[in-house]
Amino acid sequence: MPGLRNTLRDLRAARSMTQQELADQIGVTRQTVIAIELDKYSPSLETAFRIARVFAVPLEQVFQYDPPHGKKK
Amino acid sequence: MPSLSYREKSLYGELLADLAVFLPYFVYMHLHDATLTVSIIAASVTLLILIRIVLQGIIAAFSRSRLSDERDRLIRLRGYRAGYLTIVAIMLVLMSMLWLHSSLHQIKPEHMALHFLTVFFGVLMLAEVVKTIAQIVAYRRPM
Repeated sequence: MPGLRNTLRDLRAARSMTQQELADQIGVTRQTVIAIELDKYSPSLETAFRIARVFAVPLEQVFQYDPPHGKKK
Repeated sequence: MPSLSYREKSLYGELLADLAVFLPYFVYMHLHDATLTVSIIAASVTLLILIRIVLQGIIAAFSRSRLSDERDRLIRLRGYRAGYLTIVAIMLVLMSMLWLHSSLHQIKPEHMALHFLTVFFGVLMLAEVVKTIAQIVAYRRPM
């Protein structure tokens, strides 16, 4: 997704958590976790909060939004 | 080979079943007179249901998790939208053609219902295939 990045892979690696374990905890399939990590899918707000909760970090630490260049606020 | 979720495997099963039934149907309808339309359509639908049940049963038996999540639901909606647009677009074209042939007296009035049924079923088949392919593609594309 243009503009939306995440640190899911790093957060998961730091906790030695598998994609399947994370998927089970947030109630999605492993393929969805893979898609989120590869920036191929932007999760719903609810799932995003669930992810942040699993890692016990603020939402901004998991997901970052960089507005496309040349666009005003 | 990327790992496939249960829903993706299920879609490939659907596509396989659709093609196994629809391709012979279209070939038959192209080569033969459409006088047996009702029987052929009934047989096709029955065969499609049977093949789908068998394939889905096999896929379910070999899948550990049958979980469906928000991404699956979103992709399902996208597929239905593609299918709906296909129905609207092709139905409009084919109905216009049917009307044109009918106006030019190339279709006998007593055969009109059969031709309508053939067109209607054909459009539904195409829309089903488009829907399934759209969903399969959506799983591989960023969204």
